[in-house]
Amino acid sequence: MSEARVWPAEADLDLGWMKQRGEWGMKATPSKQGLTLADIQIGSYGDPVDRSDNQTGRPRGAAARPNSYRIGGYAVVNKSEIWLENASFLYEEALQRQWSSATDVPWHTIKPLRDDIEQAQCQLATFLTEVEFVAGDVPARWISNTTPDYFEPRQCLLAQVMDESRHMDVFRKRALANGGGLMLTSGGTAGVVGSIDLARDFTEMSSRLHISGEGAVLTIFRMGELMAYNDAEKAIYRLCAQDEARHVAFGVMHMRYMHETAPERHEEIQCYLDEAERQILAGSQNPAGNQTDASEALAILLGGGKDKYDDGLNKLLAIRKRQVQEYIKRVRSTGFGARFDNGRSQLTEMLNQAAA
Amino acid sequence: MTEKTAAKPAASSDRPVDPMADRPAPNLKWMGITHQWGTRVKPGKHGLRLGDLNVGIYGEVPAVWNDQTRNPRGAVARRGIPPVGYAIRDKADLWADSAADMYEEAIQRRWAPAVDVPWASIAPLPDAVEQAVCQVMTELSQYANVDVEAVTHWQHQMAYGYHEVKQYLATVSFDAARHMEVFRKRALCNGGGLGLEGPGEVNRMILESRGGWTETVLYLFLMRGLFTQTLLRYLEQHAHNHAERAIYTNCIEDKARHLTYGIDHLWYAINHQNDQKLIVNQLCIIGERILVRELKDPVLREALAIIFAGGIEHASGKGIATYEQMLGDFVRRYLDTLKWLGVERTILFPPELAGYVGKGAR
Repeated sequence: MSEARVWPAEADLDLGWMKQRGEWGMKATPSKQGLTLADIQIGSYGDPVDRSDNQTGRPRGAAARPNSYRIGGYAVVNKSEIWLENASFLYEEALQRQWSSATDVPWHTIKPLRDDIEQAQCQLATFLTEVEFVAGDVPARWISNTTPDYFEPRQCLLAQVMDESRHMDVFRKRALANGGGLMLTSGGTAGVVGSIDLARDFTEMSSRLHISGEGAVLTIFRMGELMAYNDAEKAIYRLCAQDEARHVAFGVMHMRYMHETAPERHEEIQCYLDEAERQILAGSQNPAGNQTDASEALAILLGGGKDKYDDGLNKLLAIRKRQVQEYIKRVRSTGFGARFDNGRSQLTEMLNQAAA
Repeated sequence: MTEKTAAKPAASSDRPVDPMADRPAPNLKWMGITHQWGTRVKPGKHGLRLGDLNVGIYGEVPAVWNDQTRNPRGAVARRGIPPVGYAIRDKADLWADSAADMYEEAIQRRWAPAVDVPWASIAPLPDAVEQAVCQVMTELSQYANVDVEAVTHWQHQMAYGYHEVKQYLATVSFDAARHMEVFRKRALCNGGGLGLEGPGEVNRMILESRGGWTETVLYLFLMRGLFTQTLLRYLEQHAHNHAERAIYTNCIEDKARHLTYGIDHLWYAINHQNDQKLIVNQLCIIGERILVRELKDPVLREALAIIFAGGIEHASGKGIATYEQMLGDFVRRYLDTLKWLGVERTILFPPELAGYVGKGAR
């Protein structure tokens, strides 16, 4: 093998690059929570453009090379399509609140359960193993399609993929930890029109995934105390709820930004919400949906056994009501709440009837 | 802002099912439906790990996973479910025996740039050195962006039957997010800023390696990954403060896991697919030429030389010599790894890289 150099000989340093750089003199300082993403939003580095022409993947604020390849192929290049105001905060919180399903769940507290309860727990765990990574697969696809100029929302979505991966694994672990096994899948995550998978617009996807889908699951996780039979299950639901709350917050904050900055898209977004409401309660992706395998399992868990199914169903109906109330509250906070007052949404009417 | 949406009463068929009124009798047809009951996996010394779950049918990982739904491995599938559309369904196209272990290790070794880097230890540096550091941070941040985009492009195309790999890759892209972030933070915290974007030859090669995940693994983890890890090791040796040392040390650890998966997968692919060894060799020939072209770009080389020499004055002497030594380390590790995989890089190995084999052996 011959000796060869790929650069000029000694003393031939070019150093022309030292004249090409982004804004200089930046001195971000750590805040009480350390040096956070919010702390480095300084000067031009903290000011993403409304429409990005960055197709080379350069870091936002770096000097561009005129001869760079346009290798990004990014589809999401408008800020309003993906932006939210508190992405930096949500990302840092996600980093701080990472947990391990191997060691942060007290698995030794799981003791043998009655067969009907163990079956219900395993059926629910099978369902959650199946659906949790929808929220991993789908954001992943959008990350690679979004310009790095909007890296803060992308960082949140990357944290979400990680969270969902852990959810998929913790429910598989639960199903296999107590003398049971995986059971029957729902098939509710199939690739059909109107599903989370097939959305070709980020906000459309986010309205289904974050606002209605994960919102409904969040309500269930928050009720974990009612359906847990040991400290391990309580820990699982509590930790998953914490993650899920961040994901829902992402969707709410993004939709709020969209509402404020893209009035021309309001009616379109209302259509997504129409769809979501048709599916949120009855749909097979809602574990508390109408007469699905998962909802029957939930009723058994909530009631305390197959023989107390009616008691469990009463609690399940209360959970569904709470899902609706929380959904309405979230949509109102995004600015799209008029639908609950002008008759477009049927949800308030149903709540009123139930109350009567 | 006022809401101008029109009231649109839903047609009766469009109405959501009333959640509060519906009280159907249970059918409970799902009860008793399982492929294997009685599984009782116990936590070990390191907790209940993903790999521990691979018992009985739950640990049977088939060579081909034709199920196009999200049916978890070992669960009972429903028939007639419309497909989601996974493109990668052959085990040889993504598998690595170490994936489950690497997944748990990544979670145990998590760190947060905001709080696990002692930012207060950073003090002003000579202008040229600060600019060199900022330039290197800019390019490393861009490398990490390519890691993110390459992994997330493929991840959702992988079949559920190989969930260990999908889950492991979630940790890789999350690591890369942290790298993007920490290099940016370093560039913006000490009186500097971002520099010039990288030349992008290798970035393009990685992102355009759409022939299969194995090809991406070769370029992303073995070629670029090994190069980056070697570079980080040299930066760690030349760190100016505890903060930089912490950044490089943590990133090196993450990179080591990525490399482990990469080598493990390439080994699996080569040993389970006809012609894969020849394909890898061919891809190496292409990739090495692109790498050589990128190395001719002076920006990263000169910035590193300034850091290694402690300033511009000795950059062209000591700095470049250290840079050559670094490349020597990289090329030797690259060739050794390929050799271990059974790929002897003798044909058309670029003389520009061969020249470093004997340089600076450490």
